[in-house]
Amino acid sequence: MRLEQKPRMPLLEINDLTVDFNTPEGQIRAVDHLNLHIEPGEVMGLVGESGSGKSITAKTIMRLNPGNAMIQRQSRIQLHRDPSVDVLKLRGKDLRVVRGGEVSMIFQEPMASFAPAIRIGDQIVETIRLHLGHDKQTARKIGIELFERVGIREPEKRFDQYVFELSGGMRQRAMIAMALATKPKLLIADEPTTALDVTIQAQVLDLMMELREQLGMAILFITHDLGVISKVADRLTVMKRGRMVEEGHAQAVLHAPMHDYTRKLLDALPHLNNLPQPPAHKPEPLLSVRNLSISYPQSGRRKAEAFNAVPDVSLDLPKGQIIGLVGESGSGKTSLGKALLGAAPISAGEVVYHVDSPIRLDGKSRINRRKFARVAQLVFQDPYSSLNPRMTVRDIIAEPLEAMKICSSREEVDQRVIEVAKRCHLEVSHLRRFPHAFSGGQRQRISIARALVSDPQFLVADEAVAALDVSIQAEILTLLRELRDELGLTILFISHDLSVVANLCDHICVMQHGKLVEQGSVRQIFLDAQEEYTRRLISAIPVIEAPRREPVIA
Amino acid sequence: MFAIPAKWRRKGAASEEEAYYTAGQFALIRARFMKKTSGLIAGTILLALVLMGLFAPFFSPVDPTIRGADAEYRRGAPQALNFCDENGCSLRPFSYTYSKEKPKFDLSALAGGDLNALDQLTSSGALSASSQNKFIEDREQRRYLQFFVRGWEYSLLEIGWLGIDIRSDLHLFGVEQGKLHLMGTDEDGKDVFSRTLHAVWVTISIAIVALIVKLFTSLLVGGVSGYFGGRVDAVLMSFTEAVRVIPPIPIYLACAVALSQIDLTPVQRYFAIALVIGALDFATLGRRLRTHILVERNQDYVLAAQLSGASTGRIIWRHLVPSFSSYIIVDTLINFPYVILAETSLSFLGLGLTEPVNSLGVLLQKAQDPDIQQNMVWQFFPVVVFVALIMAFVFVGDALRDAADPYSERNQ
Amino acid sequence: MIDFLANTWLLWILLITGAVLWLAARNSDYFHYVLHRYLMALGTLLLVSFVVFGLMEVLPGDCAEKYIAYKNTQGEMISQATIDAERARMGLDQPMLQRWASWVTDLTLRGDLGFSCAKRQSVNLAVGDRFWMSLGFCLAGLLLAYLIAVPFGILSAYVLNKPWMDCDPQSSPRERFTNTLLLGFNKLIDLQLRIISYLGLALPNFLLALSIILLYVFAGEPTPTGLFSDEWRNVPWFSDSGFQFGKLSDFLGHIWLPIFVIGWAATALQLQTVRALVVDESNKLYVEAARARGVEGFSLWARYPVRHSISPLFNSVGFDFQRVFNDLPIVAVVIGLTDAAGLLIEALAMTNDQELAAAILFLVALVVIGMNLLTDVVLAAVDPRVRRSVISGGQ
Repeated sequence: MRLEQKPRMPLLEINDLTVDFNTPEGQIRAVDHLNLHIEPGEVMGLVGESGSGKSITAKTIMRLNPGNAMIQRQSRIQLHRDPSVDVLKLRGKDLRVVRGGEVSMIFQEPMASFAPAIRIGDQIVETIRLHLGHDKQTARKIGIELFERVGIREPEKRFDQYVFELSGGMRQRAMIAMALATKPKLLIADEPTTALDVTIQAQVLDLMMELREQLGMAILFITHDLGVISKVADRLTVMKRGRMVEEGHAQAVLHAPMHDYTRKLLDALPHLNNLPQPPAHKPEPLLSVRNLSISYPQSGRRKAEAFNAVPDVSLDLPKGQIIGLVGESGSGKTSLGKALLGAAPISAGEVVYHVDSPIRLDGKSRINRRKFARVAQLVFQDPYSSLNPRMTVRDIIAEPLEAMKICSSREEVDQRVIEVAKRCHLEVSHLRRFPHAFSGGQRQRISIARALVSDPQFLVADEAVAALDVSIQAEILTLLRELRDELGLTILFISHDLSVVANLCDHICVMQHGKLVEQGSVRQIFLDAQEEYTRRLISAIPVIEAPRREPVIA
Repeated sequence: MFAIPAKWRRKGAASEEEAYYTAGQFALIRARFMKKTSGLIAGTILLALVLMGLFAPFFSPVDPTIRGADAEYRRGAPQALNFCDENGCSLRPFSYTYSKEKPKFDLSALAGGDLNALDQLTSSGALSASSQNKFIEDREQRRYLQFFVRGWEYSLLEIGWLGIDIRSDLHLFGVEQGKLHLMGTDEDGKDVFSRTLHAVWVTISIAIVALIVKLFTSLLVGGVSGYFGGRVDAVLMSFTEAVRVIPPIPIYLACAVALSQIDLTPVQRYFAIALVIGALDFATLGRRLRTHILVERNQDYVLAAQLSGASTGRIIWRHLVPSFSSYIIVDTLINFPYVILAETSLSFLGLGLTEPVNSLGVLLQKAQDPDIQQNMVWQFFPVVVFVALIMAFVFVGDALRDAADPYSERNQ
Repeated sequence: MIDFLANTWLLWILLITGAVLWLAARNSDYFHYVLHRYLMALGTLLLVSFVVFGLMEVLPGDCAEKYIAYKNTQGEMISQATIDAERARMGLDQPMLQRWASWVTDLTLRGDLGFSCAKRQSVNLAVGDRFWMSLGFCLAGLLLAYLIAVPFGILSAYVLNKPWMDCDPQSSPRERFTNTLLLGFNKLIDLQLRIISYLGLALPNFLLALSIILLYVFAGEPTPTGLFSDEWRNVPWFSDSGFQFGKLSDFLGHIWLPIFVIGWAATALQLQTVRALVVDESNKLYVEAARARGVEGFSLWARYPVRHSISPLFNSVGFDFQRVFNDLPIVAVVIGLTDAAGLLIEALAMTNDQELAAAILFLVALVVIGMNLLTDVVLAAVDPRVRRSVISGGQ
């Protein structure tokens, strides 16, 4: 107690942090003169899209940068404890101060962050013993208490299990327990809830806030999701391409953004207070699903039984609308979407397309792919694996035309490809490139262009924006809306994210455990949900609360 | 001052970027390969060796067959090329004329029953085959090295069934009179250097034939197994598994023994051995291809192609085959040394190719002979070439594997 | 009764093992998997026996001819009719499938591998101890390979993505200097090892053995070929004066050569395998997570990437053994070993002894399959990742 505790001494101070990466293509600047400070006990939200340098900042605090990262000389990271330490000058064993000692970290993927062949408990015990020097028994006791505290049921049993034996939410709780094992002053949470379902995400966020209250630690909360951050953060820092663009109190930044980029991010968010009006009259159905059930044959299992993903669903999809199909993981929404395209095994029931010559899918008769491909197409979730890396964009888009021999000449194919590419806002000069040259959003445009080239009437978009940044998400959603309005497409938009669906769709279907729980127009679902499950889903969406209407200083 | 180069660089970078974006899989692999120094050096050496093997007659100063054997210079040591000697220097390198050492004994004395002469004969080693022949170099008679000389005739390109036979007698280098033996000669007077060059190509071509056959069988087994799956897969894979657990060299041996029963010309025998090595080596690659197809088959882009109305054949040809073609090529290159080793092992045991065919295995077999070990060390020259060749292959294969790894970019 | 049991002992062992596993499998997923693997191994063995037997058909000559040839040397004149009669007596006129079936039956009933015509004795007797000797060579060579490859493969993985020089602007010049020295030293060791390991690939082991022998020749020392020098060859291990330590040291003085030669070639491959495995594991997120918890240095590497790459390495022991045995015959020829591998070469290349060759090949395959079975079963018991993937049907 030699130094008098100053009242406003920040916990962590980052001054002029600049990180470069040495790559074969030269130096790439990842973090550019960043200044940031975190007060004790506050939640600092660090927001940015992919490539904004937010994760690298977090890793630099823990000194976990890869070997080719160069932290420039003038950078300073001060951790104010007793005595203060310069994080960047730590060497050897002293590094433990920021690695688990005063600072610890929660990763995005709990599954991958636990060693698969070591019991979770052993990994926690190892951490406790390393930092606190307890013996095995005490460490184990502490660990089990922590498990109880983060709300893991049967903590004794779970403590001795392997990571894959736990469910997704449990894994993230165990990860939090491990991070808290050493009673850190600062917890870095790198997209801790991104991989989780909405309801579990809400639980985990509540838990984190509760623990913060109890333990009085500061949290550096890294996320791309402004909705989530609005629930938790006291202050916000917005980053873009390694630079800080805006910083301030969370309410101020979220409701009165000063910077264009922040405004753009906020605009991209869905708002529940301007839901679209339902169309005046209900259109004819384009396709009808009658008592459909889907089951996958299980191979290699001891008792060979089929896994019934969707037991019995009946549904009409109205023509010319965007229909949202929402549900949490394992609800069978993707199976249903694929079954509509004849790509999932239909065990009973049928799907009927009401087109000029009706097409009937019942799982028994063979599908005439050539005919069917001109009616319905799919846009995939993963923009990386769905494009063949060995074909140029032109070839990828032209594939349906060439496979079905729709066009008579190469010129005609080219013409059609260019037309579609323009429609999807792709540059014509990029058609010669290979997919690896494109970002996620552009790849998704290519995927949409491929789906559109054969001029179908129905499009299934399976989590088509889940892998994309918010601002790019918004662009793709706009494109889908344009397509509906201009081409009269019917789109089935499958998503786990209710907030995305809110401003896009006309009609929403909610699924749970393979069953259709509820359907209706957007307003019906969001404002007047009938089912408990739907209400739970909606209340779990992290949306920015309607701002207190205060005059905004320009 | 630095402004202009910086501008150039940016311009260069932009076009480079464009090239990167429009580059296909192979161009990317090549670009990444070019960054590996060890791979590049090994690649250059490899290319040089292969080219020298391919155009062996052009590069070899002496006919390697028995026709070109130098009866005057049997078991002769390498002839050094000099620039200078006591008679002055010359820019053009030269070697000397060699002549056999005259027997030091007097035959007439022997005829006369002189026992001393007989003793002399025995001790001089002239009768003992294992001793080294002594040659006298005639320092007065220089043999200057000439480039692009006319020498023995060979066929540059011969396609039997088309009746094409382009013959030439041009050689990169040689000497005006007599013959130049850079690496000495063997017991028949055949030039070791020329033999080695010819052997390189024979060995590589066996490996090529074997690898093509191997590719074919692997593709067949892996492709059928992976694409059809189910029962076909189970049967084929258990058969593959059974073949995989048996050590291959004894199997090659058994086949080689069986082949030796059949009366074959050297050429037929050569192909038969390549065939055997290739056909029995399908297990590893076949299994990998099967796994690869099983994985790729479930990729989204294959489903996309199906939904686009592409037929099965089109999916296989346009989507699946290109997806593992780079893998196959790299794997083939990595397997080169192993196939070459298999060939040499067989020849080494005397069951592969045999004299007078020139293959590295045949030449290596000689290393076993104590006579050569002790008296004709220069016949180990093929060993050096062999090790260099394999090392070059291994390094190139290693660099290629790193370059072809699709993750090497994401990991950065 | 005793006779009957003695004639069918192997079958009973196989059946009882199966039955025990079947009983255990009824309420245990793990033993169900073990039973499944056991049956698969037996099936593969059957297939192997067929492949081997079929292969030996291509070898020229058969037992009858050899027998007759043997008689010939005794001065008897033999006609074609006698040969045919002899064939019929030996059952060689029957189709191959039938002969294979009887071979397999003899084998499964009482472990009888047949009768070697060239050696004129039972194959079991002819192979006998020599097979154990080969097994010993291979295992010792493999052990040597692992002993070298594992630590240096890990080192190689450790330095793989490190630069030659430390140019971190945050370090002081002195730190940079010492780090650069250390890195350079590690990198150099790695580079040398890689070159040596590539040499192990490029220098076929018969050449390696030859060069070592050559060195002895040049040095004027007696070459360490065979298993014993002439002096000790016929001395029994135990004589009147107790255990012969001289024979032991002579044995050790010879035995290192084959072990070293086959071990070196195996090291080259293992080094690359270990390196690839460890690099793979060390790039995974959980290693970074462990680092973020403060685990570092030796305990980090030992507990995380290395520990997690042991299972796949262990899994390949069976095939590593096969690869090592593959090299052994030629080495045996060069060094003059009289183990099973030498016998195999003799049977294949000189005496055309189909029965003997088939038996040795079958035994090698048996060891490989047995090792594969063992590693699979052990890994499923020990490694939770493997257990999950094999027992819960890949979920």
